Amino acid sequence: MVDEDKRSLSGLTEREAKEFHGIFVTSFIIFTVIAAIAHFLVWQWRPWL
Amino acid sequence: MWRVWLLFDPRRALIALFTFLFVLALLIHFILLSTDRFNWLGGHAAPSATAQHMSTLPDAAK
Repeated sequence: MVDEDKRSLSGLTEREAKEFHGIFVTSFIIFTVIAAIAHFLVWQWRPWL
Repeated sequence: MWRVWLLFDPRRALIALFTFLFVLALLIHFILLSTDRFNWLGGHAAPSATAQHMSTLPDAAK
């Protein structure tokens, strides 16, 4: 119980930090995939190297 | 890796990240718009770098 309520420097518990990290990683992967598709399309249009 | 969120407040980190990405995206888009080759609103197809060099060759042959 003491561990459950223990607050960190940011104010999050370990459980909250893990939950947020999951959302963050998922969002980052989606963002990266969209960016990769955009770069592929621009490369098809006009390659830059 | 999840332990970073024990150090950094997610709200501030997200605001900082989104601000940075937005400014970076704005910068890159304006840089591209300022060029001939990658301006997608210019209306004229920019020739490739090699085609520009080649285009003078037929004139020189005349």
